[in-house]
Order: sequence, then C-alpha cells, then structure tokens
Amino acid sequence: MAAQLSFTGFAWKNLWRRRLRTLLTLGGITMGIGAFVALVGFSRAFENEWMHLYSNAGTDIAVVERNFINTSLSESLGPKISAVPVVQRAVPMIFNLIDLTPEVNALVYGWLGTSYELDTLHYLSGGRFKDGKHEVMLGNLLADDLKKKVGDTLTIQGTVFTVVGIYHGGTALEDGAVIMPLDQMQMISSMDGKVTAFHVKLKPVPPGEAYDHYVKRAETEIEAAVPGVHADPATDRAQNNQLVALAHSVAWGTSSIALLIGILGIANTMAMSVFERTREIGILRAIGWKGRHVILLILTEAAALGVVGGLLGIAVGWGGLQLLSAMPQAASIVSPSVAPLHLIESFGIAIVSGIAAGAYPAWRGARLSPVEALRYE
Amino acid sequence: MSSPLLEARGLVKSYDDGRVEALRGVDAVITAGEYVAITGASGSGKSTLLHLLGGLDTATKGEVLFRGAALGTAVDLDGYRSQQVGFIFQAFHLLPTLRAVENVQVAMLAMHKRASDRAERAAALLEELGLRQRINHYPNELSAGERQRVAIARALANDPTILLADEPTGNLDSVNSAHIMEILRGIQERRGMTLVIVTHENDIANSAPRRIRVRDGKIES
Repeated sequence: MAAQLSFTGFAWKNLWRRRLRTLLTLGGITMGIGAFVALVGFSRAFENEWMHLYSNAGTDIAVVERNFINTSLSESLGPKISAVPVVQRAVPMIFNLIDLTPEVNALVYGWLGTSYELDTLHYLSGGRFKDGKHEVMLGNLLADDLKKKVGDTLTIQGTVFTVVGIYHGGTALEDGAVIMPLDQMQMISSMDGKVTAFHVKLKPVPPGEAYDHYVKRAETEIEAAVPGVHADPATDRAQNNQLVALAHSVAWGTSSIALLIGILGIANTMAMSVFERTREIGILRAIGWKGRHVILLILTEAAALGVVGGLLGIAVGWGGLQLLSAMPQAASIVSPSVAPLHLIESFGIAIVSGIAAGAYPAWRGARLSPVEALRYE
Repeated sequence: MSSPLLEARGLVKSYDDGRVEALRGVDAVITAGEYVAITGASGSGKSTLLHLLGGLDTATKGEVLFRGAALGTAVDLDGYRSQQVGFIFQAFHLLPTLRAVENVQVAMLAMHKRASDRAERAAALLEELGLRQRINHYPNELSAGERQRVAIARALANDPTILLADEPTGNLDSVNSAHIMEILRGIQERRGMTLVIVTHENDIANSAPRRIRVRDGKIES
C-alpha cells in the first residue's frame, strides 16, 4: 500500500533527519517552558495563597503606606481608620519572612489577640496566644515540619517563645506560618509602634450598592480620612505585596531568559536547516511550490518544535513545581497546584515562540531564487 | 499551423552585472504537443533557455509568452510552474528522506488535493512507469534509471501541459538512457504533451522532430 504524505508528516521527516540537533533544540525549548511553568506557576500559586488568606479572614481592604517597598505605618493610625464610617474593624498587623532554623524559613505574622483574623482559624490543639506574652501559634504544616507540639518552645530571632496552639487555616500561607502577638513581633523586628498594614473589614454592603463600588468608595473615604496612606482592595494587595511582587519578578525574569535561549535554539536550528536544504527548497519551487508553501513548511517545522517542546516543558515544569513545593523552604508558603489556564498559556507561548523563531528562516527560504537554489552545492 | 504554446522573444540573460551573457537575444516558438530538442555545447546557454521557458528564472531582457501571455506579468510564475510545467533534471533531485511514492506526492502537496487522492495518483504514476514494486523504496535504494523514472512520475503529478527535461539521461548508462527516452516519447505521444529536452547527445537530439541549436547564447539556424 502506498504511504500517504501529509504536509505535517513532511515537516516532521525534515526535522527527524537531524535527530540529535532536533533533540537538543527540543531540550532548549523544553527547559524554557519548564522554567516558565514551574517558576511563574510558583509565583502565581503564591499570589493565590495571599488572595485566599484575605478572603478566608474576610478582609476587604489593606491599608498600607504609600511607599511600596518596606511599607510601615504608625500603629496610632488605627483609631482614625476605625472611625471611618464604612469600617467595621481595622486591625494592625506585621508580617515578615524569618529563618526559624537553618533549613526552614516561614512567614511570621504579628496580630492582636483580639484580631478578627484569628476567628477563622481552626484550632487542632491548644488555643490563642495572649498579647504581651512570649507565646506563638503554629500552622499545622509548620508544626509538622518543625516537629513541635503545644508546650514546646521555639526560638525566633533570639527570643524563646512557647507554642500555645496548633491551628489549621486553609491556606499554605497560614498553615506554614507562625502567628505571635503584635507587640512581640514589633519587639523582635525592631518596629516599636510600627505596623506593616491595617487589615480592614467593612460593614455590610448597603442594599443596592455593588461590592466593587462599595470597596472603591471605602478606599476613597479611608484615604481622605487618613492622609498619606494607601487603601488597597484585598485582591490588589495580594498581587502587589512585596513578597508576591518579588516572586513574580524573579519568576518572570528567570523564565524569560530561559525562554529566550530556547527561542534562539529553534531559530538557529531552522536557519541551519534552511541553509542545508537550499537545493531542496529550489527543487520544491521548481516542482510547483509557491513561496508561501515554503514559508508554511518551515513554520510548521518550527511550530512542531514548539508543540513538542511545550508538552515536554509542561511535564518538566509540573514535576519541577512538585519538587519545589516539597522543599522545606518553600512548602510552607505555596501549594503545588498549577492552574489549567497557566498550562494553556505555557503551551501557547511555546507554539508562538516556535513560530516566531522560524519566521526569519522561513522568509529567507521563500526568497530563494529557484534556479539559484538548484545550483547550490 | 497550430498557435504557439511557448514563445521566446528577444531573450537576454546576463550575470555579474552584465559581464557574462548566457543568452544574447533568443527568439523561439514551440507549439502545443511538439517534441523539441534544444542542443548545444556545454555553456552554450541551452539550460538557461530551458529555465526561462519553465519560469524557473526571469530574463534580463525580452519575454517568454505562454499561450500569448507574458510569464511573470500576465502569468504568475509560481502558478505556471505548479500547473503547466513538469521539470525533469539530470541529477534527478529526489528528496532523500522520502520514499518514491512520497517524492511524487510532494509535487501535489502544494495543490489542494486529499491525501488519499495524492497517494493514489502517485502510486498509479509509478505503476505506469514500471515501478510498482519500488514505490515504498527510498532513493538510495533505487538504481539511477529507477530514480529518473520516479522524477518523471513527479513531473507528471500535477498533469502539466509541458514537460521540460534538462539532460534527463546525463547520469544514465546507454540501456537506461534508451529506456528513459522511450518512456518520455511514449508519454508525449499518449498524452499529447509538449516535450522540450535539453541534450548534448546526438542520438537523443536526432529522435526529436525539431531541434533548436544554441551556440554562444544565440539560436543557430
């Protein structure tokens, strides 16, 4: 029976004739997409955890200093924010990423013992800390990691704290964290009288007013009542907080470089391939192929590298993310899940990268004069 | 007399900014269904003339008319090559990674035909040329004569009006040469195609009813 030849089959045969080069090129784009899936996926999962943290606690707005980096506010602003008519509760807080042991670092929150955010935690053992005491509560993931139980002690920044409660919060940012009295956190962080932010719970949305509009109005009212502060909706704050912004920057920066290397690899392979197949392109033109068919063939080959590299990259990236989130240093701050949309986006980037890398070689191939190409030795 | 199918008018082809002139004012007429041999010494310009007639290249001056319309202006060169012309080369120019039947299908990939129709037609053409048992062989598994027959099948794939052959027997022994010429003449007669062969072999040139002699880039009458 006669073998059928399709356009894509022809493209694949062209790629496969130089197996080693094709495999190395695939390796490059695989690593680029893998880095994108793992690192950007990691930073986005981190952002999602922050969003859940706010939504679980019922926080609508975070009030921070206008300065984006290392925001700190005077604790004395609390009563002013609480006095804004739309505000139901405004609670001060501090958070920081602190090394607990040489292997484990974790988010440490300083909250008031009366903070509404403590109400949403589920206590697995023990209970809440008391303000002014050297007491901490541990998330269940962190407690497991540190092998700590209620009654044990934990040294943070040189101060010894007693574990008074183990809780489950619902997000890795809580379950992998330490929560201690605000005054203790101020003491170990040298932030006397200062807080990172005020978390604000608004009064119920008035009938007939949309939630988004209500939050926007509350932002304006808070900023008008307390000059110099910035009232961020909780969702924006999740995206904009320093740790998330840093994670995004590192993830995008690193994976962009890896992707660029992958794209250059495809471009190099396609350019070499067009160069080596100059005479063959001449033959194709002589037997009736139009310039656009040559472009389509080379772009199909480049896109095929993108498709296969994308699929392999997604597998590698997913595996990398599992490894990353299983590491003690990261397990406490992010979950290993990857949003399907992120995978689709990664696959799309792989295909577009392949096509973009093949564009110039394709254009060059189509411009070859048939008779000149046929003479090529 | 039947109307011209191909007409060369004052063809000049120069290279290296005019320092080398391959053709220096060539006029020629080829009618539909005709079998013509273009002859001449090596470097005389006969292959250049064939390339211009086949739309593989464009003239520095002058024009080629296909059914009275100028190639490259009134007639799109890509469309002309894909639908009206079938090329056969001395070096066969088969694609090494494709089987015989796939090499024939490549010519049809640019046309909008179904894959199964392409495969069926390619197999039928190879069978017609006596390669039924060789359709799934790669070029390096075929003899020189068989490779040229695959190339002929590829040239016929899109059912062209004109077959242009550039030294089609140049890489073949005398037995295979005779066989290939027999095939080409048979195709020309059965299908009523126009066959233009570039050759420097007298036997082949003598087999054509008409001969165009090229010498130093001009037609020798």
